Amino acid sequence: MQRRDLIRGAGTVIPATVAFQMLGAKWAFAQDGDFDSPIDVLNYALTLEYLEAEFYRQGNSADLLQGKDAEYLRTVQRDEEAHVMALTDTINKLGGSPVPAPKVDFGDAFTSRESFLEAGFTFENLGVSAYLGAAPALFQEKELLSAAASIFGVEARHAAILGNLLEKPAEGGVYMGATETPKPRDEVLQAAAPFIVSTVTL
Amino acid sequence: MILMESPIPAGRRRLLFGGRPVLTFREEASRRNFIKGSALVGVGATFVAYTASDQTAFAQGSGTDLEILNFALTLEFLEAEFYTMALQNNVVSGRERELVTPIRDHEMAHVQAITATVQDLGGTPTEKPMFTFPDGVFTDRAMFLETASMFEELGVTAYHGQVPNIQSPDVLAAAASIAGVESRHAAVIADIMGGNPFPAPFENSRTKDEVLNLAGQFIQS
Repeated sequence: MQRRDLIRGAGTVIPATVAFQMLGAKWAFAQDGDFDSPIDVLNYALTLEYLEAEFYRQGNSADLLQGKDAEYLRTVQRDEEAHVMALTDTINKLGGSPVPAPKVDFGDAFTSRESFLEAGFTFENLGVSAYLGAAPALFQEKELLSAAASIFGVEARHAAILGNLLEKPAEGGVYMGATETPKPRDEVLQAAAPFIVSTVTL
Repeated sequence: MILMESPIPAGRRRLLFGGRPVLTFREEASRRNFIKGSALVGVGATFVAYTASDQTAFAQGSGTDLEILNFALTLEFLEAEFYTMALQNNVVSGRERELVTPIRDHEMAHVQAITATVQDLGGTPTEKPMFTFPDGVFTDRAMFLETASMFEELGVTAYHGQVPNIQSPDVLAAAASIAGVESRHAAVIADIMGGNPFPAPFENSRTKDEVLNLAGQFIQS
């Protein structure tokens, strides 16, 4: 597939409200108008990945963790940095402009092991829901869809392990049910807003 | 995008159960459909017994959503049965049992959900195969965990292999929401067994060629 072909999908119309009933779940996928183009979706993801990568960079520098905790969280940081690089690279190759890293403030997240892991747990589960919610907006772009899905799965791994390090209940802590729950763009923005001090388009 | 190496070393994949078949289908048609599905999504082929004629089936995969769903259903049947038997045999206890119990429940829910989806689409859900699990897998904790890890990592790559093939946004929604849960399972099992829950920054998927390489040793030619 030519890169040109990927860009041609700009303005792809997302299927109208996806009201797929499975296990009684309501899907909150991207709606018409949530995203202007595939590059818009990738920049949305890039902002979240910047947020996460910087979160773990600061957290891991705070010297709060030891042993397995420290080892795991270094790997999580590596993953988020790889996601930032891959998304930036992809946006550039598609002829788009990657959004800049947002200015962030994580408040008192780095005061203890628990506060660090707890905030990470929140970010990871948010990331899972954000990727799933945006997936239909990439439906016509199979290459990008596969790439986004491969990141989404890793965010789910992070979420589960952070929940387990915090010794949360298996169901409703480590796992969030038999299926992941998508979140639409406005809900994700609302959840991430407290940590972003610069004005960004999320 | 950068694609990383498979989290499961090739050597371990090839030695899975010493090449003995795990799945036995009552009807030849079901078995051939499963193998066709394996080619579509790139995994699972090593679980079934092969005959020379199966090489033809690989080339015939047309990849309708129904075929993909029925392939996924077979994998979910496998996982649901595996965890049900493991818990009945108390192969793990304490926190480990607490972590494994929802995995069984999820796999059972996936079976129900995929079955319902196939029916909604006007298809016929594939039959549940008979499973032959290796001796000791439900009594030896390490063997159970290693097998569980194999199934979960295969499940992850199976769903990710399907992503570009799925034709309906609704089916994609269902498959993706399940795939994320399989990723959670894979990470937790890896953590319990002292492995690496984060083998790569990107989930892997398997290609048809990889499956043929893996399956080659089991094909009588």
